[in-house]
Amino acid sequence: MKKISVEHIARVEGNGGISATIDGNVVTDVKFIINEGARLIERLTVGRTPEEDVSIAPRICAICTLSHKFAAIRAMENALAVEVPRKVHLFRELMHMGEMIESHSLHTFFLALPDYLGFPNAIAMGSKYESEVKLALQMKNFGNHIMKTTSGRYIHGENPVIGGFGKYPSKDELIWIKERAVEFMPSIIKTVDLFCTIDYPDCPEDDTIYACCNPANDKYGFAGDEIIVSTGDKIYRDDYKNLTNEFIVSHSYAKHSRFKEKPYSVGALARINNLGERLEGEAGNMYKKYFNDRWKKNPLLNNAAQALELLYSFERIPQLVDELLQPPEAPEIIRYTAKEGKGTGLVEAPRGLLIHHYEISNGLVSHTDIITPTAQNAEDIERYCYIAAQSLLDSGKEDKIRDRMELIVRAYDPCISCSAHLAEVKKAPEESWKEKIDELKQAESPVFIGVGNTCYSDDGAGINLALELKKAGVKDVWLESELNDNEEIWQNSVNRPLVFLDAVDVKEKPGKICVLPLHHILSNTSLSHKFLPFISGQMNYKQLKNSYVLGIQPESLSKGQKISRPVRDAIEKVLNYMH
Amino acid sequence: MKKDKLKIGIYELTGCAGCALLILDCENELVDIFQAADIQSFLMAKSDNIDGELDIALVEGSVSTEKDIEELMDIRKRAEIVVAIGLCSMVGGIQGRFCDEKEWKENFKKVYGDIEMTHTKPVQSKPIDAYIKVDYYLPGCPIGKEQFLNFFTRMLRGNPPERYPQPVCVECKYNENDCLLKKGILCLGPLTSGGCGAICINHNLPCVGCWGPVEGGNWISEYYLLKEKGFDDELIKNKMANFSGTKIAEVSEQLRK
Repeated sequence: MKKISVEHIARVEGNGGISATIDGNVVTDVKFIINEGARLIERLTVGRTPEEDVSIAPRICAICTLSHKFAAIRAMENALAVEVPRKVHLFRELMHMGEMIESHSLHTFFLALPDYLGFPNAIAMGSKYESEVKLALQMKNFGNHIMKTTSGRYIHGENPVIGGFGKYPSKDELIWIKERAVEFMPSIIKTVDLFCTIDYPDCPEDDTIYACCNPANDKYGFAGDEIIVSTGDKIYRDDYKNLTNEFIVSHSYAKHSRFKEKPYSVGALARINNLGERLEGEAGNMYKKYFNDRWKKNPLLNNAAQALELLYSFERIPQLVDELLQPPEAPEIIRYTAKEGKGTGLVEAPRGLLIHHYEISNGLVSHTDIITPTAQNAEDIERYCYIAAQSLLDSGKEDKIRDRMELIVRAYDPCISCSAHLAEVKKAPEESWKEKIDELKQAESPVFIGVGNTCYSDDGAGINLALELKKAGVKDVWLESELNDNEEIWQNSVNRPLVFLDAVDVKEKPGKICVLPLHHILSNTSLSHKFLPFISGQMNYKQLKNSYVLGIQPESLSKGQKISRPVRDAIEKVLNYMH
Repeated sequence: MKKDKLKIGIYELTGCAGCALLILDCENELVDIFQAADIQSFLMAKSDNIDGELDIALVEGSVSTEKDIEELMDIRKRAEIVVAIGLCSMVGGIQGRFCDEKEWKENFKKVYGDIEMTHTKPVQSKPIDAYIKVDYYLPGCPIGKEQFLNFFTRMLRGNPPERYPQPVCVECKYNENDCLLKKGILCLGPLTSGGCGAICINHNLPCVGCWGPVEGGNWISEYYLLKEKGFDDELIKNKMANFSGTKIAEVSEQLRK
């Protein structure tokens, strides 16, 4: 297999959108698009000192700036063998809590809630829900205040450094933070009730895999040296690539990720799913009260999970401050002498697992790898949008698709500007399959594989078409039966799109032809097909992502019957076009 | 007679969205901001945005895709006054540092390989004044809250924004900080636009230069002074480049002479 070697990251967050293409009764394409240009941040840090990196890398994203700072510092300290005392860890936890509160309150109230209450924005919501809007602003302001006190500024504060902080907050400032956090508690509990009792639509619901940091000592928290996956797997920080497996897609400057060939989700919902049992106090009570099976499969519940995490954070702050007020005093910045090393830092950004990995040689950064939460969520965002779009289409609610997709994207909290807009539903033109085939041919010449069963009337359409194409001299056409143990086919098809020819029930008039991405078929049980799951099991993800099904709507699947007239015509049509 | 409210649009090109977020971070003033002006477009805050004629357009982010160019041209056509907010739109931001086209292409390839982007074509990151006329600049990475509110209220009254002609050192002296350069720490205060209040030095940390190059900063003299003090040549040049965006090209050119 050809290996694409990449040192990635375009920052994710900012300008983005989602689009679905519909052809008759079937959703033929869903794309989560990041319009934000490439900034090559990882390349900007190469050749720089660890200190310079720690001030450049957080500029990836203003909303997660301190998470980036934190992850970068953790990675650098691991690489350079810097050990900081507990006090420093606690100050960092407090700082990170500020960002969590700021981001979650902004997202839940300002970005998500207007959807559920039917307003275009939070300011407009203020006329009817004044106290909620006020509370959200106060909470956000409080989070910002913690960030400013610990990091020096609201955004891109430079105070946290490798080895500690330039300056520590005063006792008075800490006490003020604690008292304010305690004051907030009653309204935070109401917030959890509010977000846990919203009537979240049950479409889309489907199982997925969740991943997050595993904080030490079986505690809840937002940092750790290990990743915990809902499959039961645990991955040590330096082995993070076993989770992420990043790859590039052409419609986005953000990379996509998969775990064991399956998409996975990160974020507040992932943390609550994997670590919720560890919540104590009020947060623990609320978790027991509200958590149920729907949280395991409905991405929209992320808003409820965020509310729970707000409660956790507000409960945790007084504990943190109490310990910070005890002696010893926080130390001066810990200096280091190492000039070589490699290290990984894992933290939970508000929107999910964030990974920074660095290699240092001769005192300078020689390699940088940064994996953002949105890059990891991109695949699941597309998958859930597919499921929702197809199921709304099936139930005749096509007009709801746009809003629902926006709701899903926004629930993932990919970043604020991209969660604010731009869902688009496109109608595919008549005979759009021709266009798709041309497009595929232009990129790499596709390999065609006929599948189906000729004993069952139209189910033989794929096989029949493949035989006709072979007869007509079209190259690279195979039958399903030829695939077994035929290494040659697989070797020849590396990095080329595979196009399966099959009868696909898209609930259209018989003979309708469409080209669909294979993974769409696999994630939508309503589209009938038999052999594809088996075959796709032998493919790696890159192939899967690059594979399509040319489907023909069958009229009848009865045993022993001949292929129906409309399907026969469709086969002719494809044959004429391709020949 | 009551005058119509100023029509304002806030736009984000390629960047970290920090300058737009900073505006949302004015929690106590936010409702007033929305009442005092007619905010026609602000993607981060609202979904009912209008692309009409504007009195003032605030643009954050650098121009990094063809789509960015189109959007920027359209904004200029519609707006009476265009203000570049933040380091990215002023000098291209940290991503503006790959000034040489070949260098940028190589780095792009290292990140994305040979893939053809289907959604919008990437271009080298540049400040917005590489494409359009800009009326005012608001430095910072990101801009500051006081700075923004000060700017906003002045604009509401029809006054031009304050300029930031002084380097960080001036503010540092107001705060009675000890000079870090004298302690042997490489600080970019003398070259960096003031306005931040010398915040890093207040925290015992050196200025990284994030507010961008100060007007009239003498880079060449500073470079030789730092060399004299014994700092590594590469380190000085790197630090100077980190937050100078495309402006670093001029300095490098002069240093080569």
